[in-house]
Amino acid sequence: MSRSSRLPVQKGIRIRPATGENLSLLALLAVLVVVFSIASPRFLTGANLGSMGFQMPLLGLLTLAMLAPILSGGLNLAIVYTANISGLTLAWTLMQFGGAEAGIGAFMLGCVLALVVGALAGAAMGGVVAYVGAHPILVSLAMMIFLRGLGEFLTRGGDISGFPDYMRILGHGSLVGVPVPLIIFGIVAFGWHMLLRRSPHGFSVYMTGSNMKAAEYAGLNAKRTLVLIYTLSGVLCAIAGILMAARFNSVRVGHGEAMLLITVLACFLGGVDPFGGHGRVAPVVIALVILQVLSSGLNLIGANQHLSTAVWGLFLIAVMVMRSSQLRHTFFFLFGKGK
Amino acid sequence: MTKMNCLIGALALTTGLSTAAVAETSIGVVVKIGGIPWFNAMEDGIERRAKELGVDAEMIGPVSADPSLQVQAIEDLIAKGVDVIGVVPNDEAALEPVLQKARDAGIVVISHEGPGLQNVDWNFELASAEGFGEAHAKLLSDKAPDGGTYAVYVGSLTVPLHNAWADAAIAWMDENRPDLSIVGDRYGVAENVDDSRSTALDLIAANPDLKGFLAFGSQGPIGAGRAVEERRKTGEIHVMGPFSPGQGRKMIHSDVLTGGFMWNPAQAGEVFVTLGDMLANGQQIEAGMEVPGLGVIEPDFEQRDIITDNLLEINKSTVDDLADMGL
Repeated sequence: MSRSSRLPVQKGIRIRPATGENLSLLALLAVLVVVFSIASPRFLTGANLGSMGFQMPLLGLLTLAMLAPILSGGLNLAIVYTANISGLTLAWTLMQFGGAEAGIGAFMLGCVLALVVGALAGAAMGGVVAYVGAHPILVSLAMMIFLRGLGEFLTRGGDISGFPDYMRILGHGSLVGVPVPLIIFGIVAFGWHMLLRRSPHGFSVYMTGSNMKAAEYAGLNAKRTLVLIYTLSGVLCAIAGILMAARFNSVRVGHGEAMLLITVLACFLGGVDPFGGHGRVAPVVIALVILQVLSSGLNLIGANQHLSTAVWGLFLIAVMVMRSSQLRHTFFFLFGKGK
Repeated sequence: MTKMNCLIGALALTTGLSTAAVAETSIGVVVKIGGIPWFNAMEDGIERRAKELGVDAEMIGPVSADPSLQVQAIEDLIAKGVDVIGVVPNDEAALEPVLQKARDAGIVVISHEGPGLQNVDWNFELASAEGFGEAHAKLLSDKAPDGGTYAVYVGSLTVPLHNAWADAAIAWMDENRPDLSIVGDRYGVAENVDDSRSTALDLIAANPDLKGFLAFGSQGPIGAGRAVEERRKTGEIHVMGPFSPGQGRKMIHSDVLTGGFMWNPAQAGEVFVTLGDMLANGQQIEAGMEVPGLGVIEPDFEQRDIITDNLLEINKSTVDDLADMGL
């Protein structure tokens, strides 16, 4: 694929201008920030911003791991358990080298093994999706059940805890005031953006997601693309698993379960097409910030937890409604007449 | 910007319900999960006690029992700058780093049902394993004065708490009632009504001198009670153990179930606020002092545990009130 022929096509696959999508989400974010800072004087303090910075990256990494399979027209329901299994791999390696006394070398080795396990889990899913032709929802659901069962069997449902002290820096440390997890997330998100928008592989992902048959006829290796995308998704899960181990100082199958559906929501809130082919990293990241602002803001003003869940739902429905082009036309029609 | 109006409206709805008053001590309690009767009762207790003491207290119940949600809720509380964080942990190990963060920020940390937690100022329990097991054993002893045999259920053979209760109850019976002997070993069926019922039917058939069931596990008393009812042994074979008052209400009134013990979640909520306010005001916990809701305490300074026996008996006169609380 030559550079000159790639760029124009890429422009063509955007339904909305990129800046417009980002701007409307940013406007939404600004409104939320204003509302919450009026409601609580503590919202715009360093403590709260820091707290949000520590909380968001985990959901963020898992969301990015969900994003790529959705772009390819699939779904990866196994993200949380892939992260758990990778975390277990790291924990097991550390335990072999003395648990809390394990050196930095053991940690590095554990991380590499965790990434390999994550990649293998992803590759297995991608392989079945691409070469057997099974539906991604079924394949990833099966993988999720397998990984959960495997993890529960290996740990007997218990915790592995007691990691070296330096892992705290990864989960709870700050670098020049910026939470370390946020820095990791920033680097990964940027890499993910470059990979999807600026590399031939990313181009194949969008094309495969739009129409797999057409992509194949056009000479793209769609099957290989699928395997690669699920593998990379597994690697991201592994990074999330390592971060989770560092943040909780323990690993157990089931940590982070509640995040699975929220990652899907974050993707759709960020304008990713549920049927594949369209969506970008930047709006998804803004969507994640919005969700975090909502969650922390509602906690900060002491809103009832049950009510705040309802507000989340309402909020998402409102976003869908705002997005609907049909409604937008009706809106303009009505208001145009009125004025 | 007009299309944003609906969102602002939705948010205004929640902000309107926020707690605006800035009281002296602010306390946030993170429980295992929100919206279930047990923790709703705890929330009532927290709010009642907070009003009495004039402090600002709130309970946060995550939408699912995922430890990562508890970590997030605690991080938000640290950011909010509360004086006291209370927690009923889902997973003790996963909370240690964030609780350490809270204590580093000068926040008092209190836990309930978290005896293994390291980064807490105090953990309190309303029932000790020994006290809980012995209370049930004594109840059985009262009901079966003539001797005979009894059977013991636990939720499962791998539930540590149930087995600790069973150990204590059996030890008490061995010491005080040698004429009442245990049938077989303990049976791990008490999380399931049907298994509890069929095991009880077998045991009743095989042991003519069976006098009682000590069923530790929420469904055990219910299942064993049904078997006793079917065999028309009401009054002859006594069933006791902790169970949900709402579920066992009818069986208590028809004497199929003798009763049991539990602890009161609302009282635990009150203790969170009482202890939190005391510790935040710099009061020290000392042996032999009396704390409202806990009584006279004998704290374990090594393990930072305050374990008391504030058991609540479930019997004919209390079951209706407890069931009405939704428990």
